[in-house]
Amino acid sequence: MSNALQIDVTAEAPAVAGRQPRLWTALTASTSGMVGLTLALIMLAIIVLGPLLAPYPPTKIGLGLPNDAPSWAHLFGTDELGRDIFSRFLSGGGSVLLVPLLAVTLATLVGGGLGVLGGYSYAQPRLGWLDQLISGIFNLALGLPPLLLALVLIAGFGTSRPTMVLAVALIFAPRTGRIVRGATQSVVTSDYVTAAQARGETLLYILTRELLPNIATTVIAEFALRMTWAVIFVAALSFLGLGAQPPSSDWGLMVAQARSFITVSPLAVLAPATGIAMLSVSLNLIAEALSQHLDPASRRRGATL
Amino acid sequence: MGAWMTIDTASTMAASLPDTATQDGAALLIRGLTLAYVMPDNSLNEVVRDVDLTLRRGEILGLVGESGCGKSTIALAAIGYRSPDIQVLGGEAWLGKDDLLSLPRAALRAIWGRRVAFVAQQAALALNPSLQIGQLLADPIKRHLGLEGEALRRYQIELLQRVEIADPEIALKRYVFQFSGGQQQRLAIAIALSCRPEVLVLDEPTTGLDATTQAHISTLLETLVREDGVSVIYVSHDLALLHAIADRIAVMYAGQIVEVGDAHEVVQAPRHPYTRALMLAAPSIETPGMVSGIPGRPPLSTVRGACAYAARCPESRDACVRQDIALEPYGRHLVRCLRAGELPPGAAALAPLKAVPVGDVVLSVRDLVCHYVRTIAPTVRGVSLDVRQGETIGIIGESGSGKSTFLRAIAGLLPPTSGTVEFRGQPLAGAVSSRPRAQRGDLQLIFQNPDSSLNPRQTVGSILSRPMRLFRDRLDRAQEHAELERLLDGVQLPRAVLQRYPAELSGGQKQRIAIARAFAANPAVLLCDEITSALDVSVQASILEILVRLSNERGVATVFVSHDLAVIRMLARTTLVMRDGAVVEAGPTADIFTTPRHEYTRTLLAAVHDLPRSEVSSP
Repeated sequence: MSNALQIDVTAEAPAVAGRQPRLWTALTASTSGMVGLTLALIMLAIIVLGPLLAPYPPTKIGLGLPNDAPSWAHLFGTDELGRDIFSRFLSGGGSVLLVPLLAVTLATLVGGGLGVLGGYSYAQPRLGWLDQLISGIFNLALGLPPLLLALVLIAGFGTSRPTMVLAVALIFAPRTGRIVRGATQSVVTSDYVTAAQARGETLLYILTRELLPNIATTVIAEFALRMTWAVIFVAALSFLGLGAQPPSSDWGLMVAQARSFITVSPLAVLAPATGIAMLSVSLNLIAEALSQHLDPASRRRGATL
Repeated sequence: MGAWMTIDTASTMAASLPDTATQDGAALLIRGLTLAYVMPDNSLNEVVRDVDLTLRRGEILGLVGESGCGKSTIALAAIGYRSPDIQVLGGEAWLGKDDLLSLPRAALRAIWGRRVAFVAQQAALALNPSLQIGQLLADPIKRHLGLEGEALRRYQIELLQRVEIADPEIALKRYVFQFSGGQQQRLAIAIALSCRPEVLVLDEPTTGLDATTQAHISTLLETLVREDGVSVIYVSHDLALLHAIADRIAVMYAGQIVEVGDAHEVVQAPRHPYTRALMLAAPSIETPGMVSGIPGRPPLSTVRGACAYAARCPESRDACVRQDIALEPYGRHLVRCLRAGELPPGAAALAPLKAVPVGDVVLSVRDLVCHYVRTIAPTVRGVSLDVRQGETIGIIGESGSGKSTFLRAIAGLLPPTSGTVEFRGQPLAGAVSSRPRAQRGDLQLIFQNPDSSLNPRQTVGSILSRPMRLFRDRLDRAQEHAELERLLDGVQLPRAVLQRYPAELSGGQKQRIAIARAFAANPAVLLCDEITSALDVSVQASILEILVRLSNERGVATVFVSHDLAVIRMLARTTLVMRDGAVVEAGPTADIFTTPRHEYTRTLLAAVHDLPRSEVSSP
């Protein structure tokens, strides 16, 4: 009898120890998450520390011969105005990151806020109209072509960073909003939200304690993904002459200006283009790792086995 | 005794054993089947071990056990299906001269649908939603029988008539979603039977359907397979259902067969302690009594060198955990238990129900009418109810009868269109937000699905302490902790779960937490909405035990909604039968079950399969 009792591994003990995987663990545990994170940190270092490390002022012309080949004095060579490409590359990442970061943050706050509101009112007996209204606004905004919208805004308000942030935020807000609304909808119809309502909890409690923690991962993954697109979009605007203006060393603008000389000084195009690509690829890898974390199957594995 | 202790399987024993029929008489012969799950880290977890099963021609073989015992896994592997996360470690499955486990995929395609057919649990998910029924039905018939044109059409209509689909010609043009759950399952059966297979595998074909639909479909299935002479493997967790329709029953535990034999003998004279425990966990209508759960949990993989059930078995001895136990013949069945010879066969009767002292009326509902949408017919049409302190009221009815809506309206989640709800003589506001705090704490709702009723991002500790802080007098930290521990003791969970997240708990454990959360508010009335319908029978039994004990201790009244009549028979003093939003019959539970007056109640009762219980009691 004693033996029989020994192999009884504590009757009805909790399944298995081991936490629900956290966001950070999910990122560092997957290969794509690790690669993305490392890459993003490198790019961040270049963008933040680059301006301090640049050997020459980025906009100073005539530092060397125009379109000179790489040398010890000018690591990446010089561009058509004799500016140091390496210095321009090191100082030109700021706006490529900052404008998308501000724009996507704004889009997530506005679009996400409306999305949560819509998703929540969807499940309430007498608030369905509010959800329909918000969804209507989203769909209307989604109907407008992104580039055209940006063009109109920039034509109206002029090329400045605030205009760019506003334009990109306006384009992304309804897209983020739709995703957040969907995520909210599936959480709001859960019984634990009903249970909170039956306890008579306030709307604020339900939103912050029951709802937000359960859509946070979705929102973060969506943020990372939007950043990928925003980086490319903002670089494209600069390339088209709608964003940063000469003589700024913005990467998008650098690509646009140097592209006619690509055969003589290819690094003037390649360096900023690689910078943009690395930034968006790293963000995309992070977004992918986060989306995998959202996949219920992977969560289940991590949780119970 | 010594002879039993050699490691062995039924296949090495003489052909005189009841299960080892000759290959000629067998429709499907499974030998030494051993299966493992491939885990995320590519390690193997053995879940089925050395299973020998003989499916005789024309018989229905029931495979029964708790979730995770490997019954569905065996059923699928037996027809040669290999899902990517399952690895076959050994064994054979002979269909005539073909071993389905060693045939290449291409050869299996010619067999699946033609000689072997499968019906999955949820037809709605198993049938392609973008094809018309006609197309769904045509594919296997064209492919395997070669029928075309008018002959095909006539055959399809004949098939639909056999499974009792009304207006078969119109049905052929419709899509899966246009049918009810029961009809969908009948369509899946029609497709499975379309090519007159030799072997039909049914994986919980009626689970999740209403009791009456369930009874209708299982009866229909039985008729059809007997007519066609199909041999059937019927996987189910419902021992009573299998007893009613199967010829033989195999009871599975931890990937092994622990008892197999003639259906009546297995149920009326069970010899394995696990089979007996399963019967004690099943509530009964004819011989009502208190169920008892099986303590502990089944292992997640097979157990070697010991009896897998020993850890939970009240009859286990030292010898049980020192060796593999063989299946030994007793009468017309085989049992895998060292002590099967010593212990008298038969399951004990359920413990008698205790009468509960009942107090004054606490909750009184009058003529409640509820609409989801004003313009269409009400979901609840004038229901009245009086609940006394300590009393349990049962509400039975099929899905769509309005019973859950009625509960939500009492809880204030759906303000009623008309009618009144009074609590201790005080009228309650329609919307929960307009009710004072004390009243909100007094009525507590428990939901059907514990996966969805606990916030996955909160620890058990914070889930339980929230209602305590809301509805109880201010407790300091030490008092709160003591109270949490008392709640956990009440639902028989270790204190360590306070720091866990719901995803780390099993379904039964989550439902215990949901019950503890309701009691944390110190309620006067519990509103239980199908709270055991998503659980295994043994887990259901422990949950019901806990609920009954806690309610009695604290004198809490309960309104228990369920479509399971046997559960209501056991719990409720008074029963309401609801149909289409109205009460068709109400009265003392015993009267409703013994002398039902309404035609509908009789229909519901007729659909119930009950387990016969011998009066032989184990010592």
